[in-house]
Amino acid sequence: MRRIYILALILILASLLFFTFYDLIQPKEFIDDKAQISEYYIEHGVKETGAINLVTAILFDYRAFDTLGEATVIFIAVSAISLLATKERVLVSDTNFSPIVYQGISFIIPFLYILAFYLIFYGHLSPGGGFTGGVVIATTFVLLKMTFGIRYSKEEKSLQRRSLIESIGALGFILVGILGIIMGDNFLANEGAGFHLGIAGQLLSAGVIPILNLFTGVKVGSGLAIIFHRLVREE
Amino acid sequence: MQFIYLVVIILFCLGLYTILMNTNLIKIIIGINIMDSSLVLLLVALSYKPAGTAPIIDKQYSVIVDPIPQALALTAIVIGASITALMLLLTIKLNRYYNTLDISEIRRLRG
Amino acid sequence: MIQLIIYLLLFFIILTAFFAVFANSLISSLIALSILSSNLVILFVILQAPDVALAEVVIASGITTGFFIITIDKTGGRR
Repeated sequence: MRRIYILALILILASLLFFTFYDLIQPKEFIDDKAQISEYYIEHGVKETGAINLVTAILFDYRAFDTLGEATVIFIAVSAISLLATKERVLVSDTNFSPIVYQGISFIIPFLYILAFYLIFYGHLSPGGGFTGGVVIATTFVLLKMTFGIRYSKEEKSLQRRSLIESIGALGFILVGILGIIMGDNFLANEGAGFHLGIAGQLLSAGVIPILNLFTGVKVGSGLAIIFHRLVREE
Repeated sequence: MQFIYLVVIILFCLGLYTILMNTNLIKIIIGINIMDSSLVLLLVALSYKPAGTAPIIDKQYSVIVDPIPQALALTAIVIGASITALMLLLTIKLNRYYNTLDISEIRRLRG
Repeated sequence: MIQLIIYLLLFFIILTAFFAVFANSLISSLIALSILSSNLVILFVILQAPDVALAEVVIASGITTGFFIITIDKTGGRR
């Protein structure tokens, strides 16, 4: 009985969605007459921000306040998980891998770090950005903890150090924004706050965007590493 | 190119069917993840222009795809991952307290 | 040629989504979810969105699958 109700509800929803997308599904010629903001960003994006990658320029210069909101969402998730997780020490057993796994992981870890920092620092020149680099840093932590045993690092001190790094990432973002207000322009301003824009296409260009990329990457990476640490320690 | 919107509708309804029908908690979380993926696909499909190139300007191109929905999709992916992590921790804690993963059992033991 | 590849990818996406919903064991559902994300990444690259593709690869293959496996192991194993 419940099954019939659910199937009927899903059929009604699917037909409503089909009527909503009806004139997008029709095959017709492509008429582009409503994308005025995108035209503005494509034409004036490189001149005003100095970054070649338009998606990073939108995320960290034109709409940088939304990126601050997303960093807050990750911070809330990490805090909620740290609040709900258990505080007692759980005995976790070690696993023994073959020597190939140990040698292979020890060889790969420095290259993963280089990949993460390349994605963070070249975020305004090629695809990547702060979020992708931060997640690769968290993957490095997860790999180290999984192969060399759960007891590899001392527990309480390393957790406090990672929380400190995450807080430094969040505070750095906000302080860069307040620097814009002190110089007399908006919050999180790029050129009005006195940052040098440089020549588009070089590494040291685009003003405030590499600094914001670094702070976001550090924050996301250490936040996800804390989440993994708390999940593994559960009973 | 128009079939992408049909696939978005099918994925969304599949995710919703999983959430409403299944009684295993982890299957419900997989259903929520499928719904997240369908919305990211919708955002990327709305930004495509025929014969356009990626929004990275190192030479002069004639047609460039829309960069705004791609920024929104990037935010949506990261937020979906952190919500999934929070739900998984709540699942572990519910299992320790009630000793079952069946949602109809958990609703019955009230009070 | 590209149209053929896009149709094939869309067909595989729907197939793995049906498998993830109607599978019997939890591990099979999880592997189908991972394959669904990989097919979605290839579709993103064809639709000229490299930033979104990089982020989806790293998050859906590394972080989400790892967290799911830890949860399935701690709540009673593969049933």
